[in-house]
Amino acid sequence: MAAKTALSSGTTKALKHDKWGSGEVKRHIAFLTMLLPGLAFLLCFSYLPMPAIILAFKRYSLAKPPKDFWIQNKFIYSLFIDNPWVALNNFKFIFQSPDAWTVVRNTVGYNLVFMSLGLVMSVSLAIIINELNNRIAAKVYHTILFLPYFISWIVVAYLVYAFVSAKGVFNQIFTSLGMPTVNFYSEPKYWPFIFVFCNMWKYTGNNSIIYLATLSGFDQELYEAAAIDGAGKWQQIRHITLPQLVPTIVLLQILAVGRIFNGDFDMFYSLPNGSGPLKNVSTTLDVYVYNTMKTGAQLGLASAAAFFQSLVGFVLVLTTNLIVRRVSPEMAMF
Amino acid sequence: MAENTKKIKVVKKDKDMNALSPTANALLNILLIVAVVITVIPLWVIIVASFTNEQALQTYGYGFWPQEWSIRAYTYLFSRGSVIGTAYKNTIIATIVGTLLCLCSVGLYAYPISRRDFRWRNFFTFLSFFTMLFNAGTVAFYVVCRQILGIGNSLWALFLPLSFSAYWVIIMRTFYQSNVPEAVIESARIDGAGEWRTLLQIVLPLAVPGLATVALFAAIGIWNNFFNCMLLVDEAKYYNLQYTIYQTLNSIRFLKEMAASVGSLATQIADLPSETFRMSMAVVTVGPICLAYPFFQKYFVKGLTIGAVKG
Repeated sequence: MAAKTALSSGTTKALKHDKWGSGEVKRHIAFLTMLLPGLAFLLCFSYLPMPAIILAFKRYSLAKPPKDFWIQNKFIYSLFIDNPWVALNNFKFIFQSPDAWTVVRNTVGYNLVFMSLGLVMSVSLAIIINELNNRIAAKVYHTILFLPYFISWIVVAYLVYAFVSAKGVFNQIFTSLGMPTVNFYSEPKYWPFIFVFCNMWKYTGNNSIIYLATLSGFDQELYEAAAIDGAGKWQQIRHITLPQLVPTIVLLQILAVGRIFNGDFDMFYSLPNGSGPLKNVSTTLDVYVYNTMKTGAQLGLASAAAFFQSLVGFVLVLTTNLIVRRVSPEMAMF
Repeated sequence: MAENTKKIKVVKKDKDMNALSPTANALLNILLIVAVVITVIPLWVIIVASFTNEQALQTYGYGFWPQEWSIRAYTYLFSRGSVIGTAYKNTIIATIVGTLLCLCSVGLYAYPISRRDFRWRNFFTFLSFFTMLFNAGTVAFYVVCRQILGIGNSLWALFLPLSFSAYWVIIMRTFYQSNVPEAVIESARIDGAGEWRTLLQIVLPLAVPGLATVALFAAIGIWNNFFNCMLLVDEAKYYNLQYTIYQTLNSIRFLKEMAASVGSLATQIADLPSETFRMSMAVVTVGPICLAYPFFQKYFVKGLTIGAVKG
């Protein structure tokens, strides 16, 4: 026992040593081998695509490298050697196209609505769940409301179809009420509501989890003291719960601002079911990038749009984090 | 003992005093029951539609109860399962292999950077974290997958890009730091265990709940993924479930081609249970998730709360 203690203090000392001991070299070799699989993934899917960003500044076309050229990969040859630079022409083309405004309006507009409405819904849900007297029922409610988060947007597109198609539930109800039926898939005016509703349906349960976790950490004595002083539930929520939730709310909203140029591709792409008349209300930046990419050899244009999106996202995240760090350093991401 | 019960009683009384009034409680319960109904009803409608007779569905439309029961869509789905069968097989393979890869890569990557005595932990933490801040964008990802990695149009495309995420690394690192005491690792070293042995025999058993959370994130992500399949896969034999059912919803042509390829059924096209068939496809796609949901739900809640804590 005594020997063990002595040994232990010995190793601790060795640990603090700045020079490389033989044990430490061995340990670091082990650590580095552990990192290898993860590094392979990071390299392949995150870092390897980064040099390909120069696509945004080129006119892309796939060319065959000469036979004796040192690199025989068509793509690498085309991208780095063969294709001509076009400076910012790709970006110019995108921003001068009539779609640019619609696309940006859709992306930012939907995100702002999702953020604000989502905030009200998820905070209210968390508070209600937290206040309910019957704990088991509260848990059951929340479990069910969390379920849609796991249902893919493609299946949600089926659910929407079952409600808004020609024979769908809504049209059945309209018919039974003697009202004319509506062809939802060619009427853009309904779709902003459908998108917002589906977004709330899918994410409210999930978004409320962080608020619920924060709420359950609050000091119960505060509420008891308030109750003894005669504060009602509503006053307790207004003066104790909400003020304590503010830091979490601010943090999550700032993070959401950082993602304001990213949309839910699957939702905007699959819900309209490929319907042409809905393009104006359903094309967000992600959808625009994909469509540009798929319609012909406009890879340079698509790449410019995608790069613009990543860059703005990056700048927004850094800025918002800077703001968080000013406001409350302990909540900053980095 | 007596004092204890007294204390509990007092606490309980306080809680009762601060409880919601019965009316407010009832109203909020009703509100949440309405929310629950809105959540569940759409799923109910497609389940009902998938069990309805095709003609009845065409005549009466979608509703909350089938006008005429029929399991034809399902017998059809399972009997000639070529398309949905392939998609199911692909999705299951991708989910299993992808989740295992995720466990290996994320579980291993997060461990060294959770250790204070790893000299380059900051560098490797940043290397992974930076990918959360900036990515090269869809197009660069697409060309690299297709032209350099060569995983386009193969099963690899369905899971490889989804097996690793910096977000999971952070969850896992936080989990190691908070659930595996440094003293345990220290004592393993004193007993002469190497780093690999310490990790495999001592740390990992303690980290099982964290690993389960990450594995579930990965499994659901791969099962529900639609974008990568659409982006990277060309041939139907590599399609996953989500993309297959997306195509089905999008075009009835797909069904007709399928029937034509079987030949003998080509004459019965008019008789195809198209709409109910589509709904049954959606039901079998979402079915496994809904059935497994009660069991994995708590791990997700845990994962989300861990992820929210700054490591």
